[in-house]
Amino acid sequence: MMGLVVKHFDGVPVVQPREDIDASNARQLRDELSRCLEDADRMVLDLSETRYVDSAGIDMLFRLNDLLAQRRASLALVIPQSSSLTRLAQIVALPSVVPIHETVEQALADRSTPTGA
Amino acid sequence: MAADPEQTSESAQAEAPPAEAAHLGDARSITDSALGYMSLEEMLSELLERIRTALRADTAAVLLLDEDRDVLVARAARGLEEEVRQGVQVPLARGFAGRVAAQAEPIVIEDLSHAEVVNPILRQKGIRSMLGVPVQAEGNVIGVMHVGALKRRTFGEEDIAMLQLAADRAALAIDAARISEQRAVTEVMQRTLLPDALPEVPGLRFSAKYLPAGSGVKIGGDWYDVLQLTNGRLALVIGDVVGRGVLAASVMAEIRTALRAYLTEGHELGRVMTLLNDLLVSMGRHRSATAAILELDLEHEELEAVSAGHLPVLLMTPDGRAGFLEQLQGLPLGISAGQEYVPQLYEFPVGSALLLYTDGLVERRGESIEDGLTRLRSAAEDPAAEIDEDASFADRVYRTLLDESPLEDDVALLATESLPLDRQLELKLEANPAVLGGLRRTLGRWLSSQGVEEEDLFGMTLAASEAASNAIEHAYGAREASFAVCCESDDAEVRVIVSDSGHWRETRPFGRGRGLGIMRALVDSAEVERGEQGTTVTLRKRRSKKDGGGT
Repeated sequence: MMGLVVKHFDGVPVVQPREDIDASNARQLRDELSRCLEDADRMVLDLSETRYVDSAGIDMLFRLNDLLAQRRASLALVIPQSSSLTRLAQIVALPSVVPIHETVEQALADRSTPTGA
Repeated sequence: MAADPEQTSESAQAEAPPAEAAHLGDARSITDSALGYMSLEEMLSELLERIRTALRADTAAVLLLDEDRDVLVARAARGLEEEVRQGVQVPLARGFAGRVAAQAEPIVIEDLSHAEVVNPILRQKGIRSMLGVPVQAEGNVIGVMHVGALKRRTFGEEDIAMLQLAADRAALAIDAARISEQRAVTEVMQRTLLPDALPEVPGLRFSAKYLPAGSGVKIGGDWYDVLQLTNGRLALVIGDVVGRGVLAASVMAEIRTALRAYLTEGHELGRVMTLLNDLLVSMGRHRSATAAILELDLEHEELEAVSAGHLPVLLMTPDGRAGFLEQLQGLPLGISAGQEYVPQLYEFPVGSALLLYTDGLVERRGESIEDGLTRLRSAAEDPAAEIDEDASFADRVYRTLLDESPLEDDVALLATESLPLDRQLELKLEANPAVLGGLRRTLGRWLSSQGVEEEDLFGMTLAASEAASNAIEHAYGAREASFAVCCESDDAEVRVIVSDSGHWRETRPFGRGRGLGIMRALVDSAEVERGEQGTTVTLRKRRSKKDGGGT
């Protein structure tokens, strides 16, 4: 397993990777994240401690979103405005598919249905 | 000598020499220098045959002491070959052979039926009387040699002396064989257990030393290791298993491998130490070890350190002052399960140096450990004048401290110096996605040293990582494939050029999916040239006005 910190809030898994997401670990991370969902209908992926996500990592996020949708669950991301990842997310139009929040609390509070799911 | 008429050997019958002359002949047959040219197995077997003849015995055997387990193990036998085949083992101080070894005295048993015997083969064979003597090397019992007779007889003083002569002859051969075997094992273990090459990391200079104490016959349990973790972080390891010899070294090998596995899995340092400790306790090796693990984060110029009873790591700050990392010490590994180890953070700015070492470097007989540490600190700050400046940090410290005196204990030391990056950087990397994290950290450090600010730094680094990822994909399946990254900067712009030689494979369109788009969006220009020799990607970023314009 890689450096993942998993916490649960009211049964919703909040997962924080402690390292970059790139071609070396994206597939493994997708498998581990989809296992973390268990029976929950939502998952929060907290990228506030993640420095870099490359194209393989972005692909993984889109696929994870699809995987969760198939299981009638939704994905929410936490990327603070101050993070360099915000710009990357805009470039690949991530916010149009997966809701992005400033903090974990906001992600947990938002129960709206994501547009792409 | 109580000769039994029914037991006379053929040689004794043929010549029928006077008792004394026969003894001389027997003694010569045992000290025969020709025995020295045989392998240990042949020699012991031949020696046992000769002693069996000389003492007119029915059986003869040699058992050797396994010091780590306190048992005697049958090594060679005549008339009692099953003993060796079945790998008979006799605990020290028990049974006939066990008592001979424990008492280090000859023992005669006239009637085995009244004695305690551990080895069932002796009774199965119907042996009645026995004589055993210790096999000793340098005053230590290393085994037992014994002879047995099927008919009851008394072994006298002369028999004892003759068997002892044979045992002493065997001891010489066994000792010589053990030393050469130990040497061979030591050499192989040291070759395989210490990293053959320290990793090449831009901005870091590693130097290491491993020196066995004394004759170097017995391998120590000291080791060091350097490994690259995900995210471009580096782990430095130093450790020392209690004791010396092959067992200490094999426990060290187990620890080293387990440590590599736990670190690679991405556990945080305190957890790694806890897992390692629990593993060692559960294996029941009854050997403890001290260890320290450091994780370097060059991008943030920090390090994290955790210690299990190991001597404090020396940290040299950029001003040339040496000090020790003050640390919460955990219990040494392998003593008690369920220990917590608490890692701590320290600054590690460019220009600093670390020295990880084992106790052999600082411990002197009749000197306190504090005195040793003080000597180490001054050796780091003020190396001996005659040592040239090109010598590595490990070398300078080692030679200042130990050049003259013979080593009393093994010494392992690993030095890591953090150096500024050059204005131009050329990297050659293995075509493996695992290198991407390290590449991004190196690029980040280089761009930062060139005065590039966060937003541009992030964009250029990620764009270069995409180009590298593509180069790695081109090389997929090729053995020992590599690619190059060249970083240049001038007053107008910074450039990162990623080139592969992916001509061994039908080139696919660049950057399946999003790679190319991401790359183009993050930098000012991204040129992709695909040629016969491979693909070259040149990424450019103009310096913004607020950038420092290079250093």
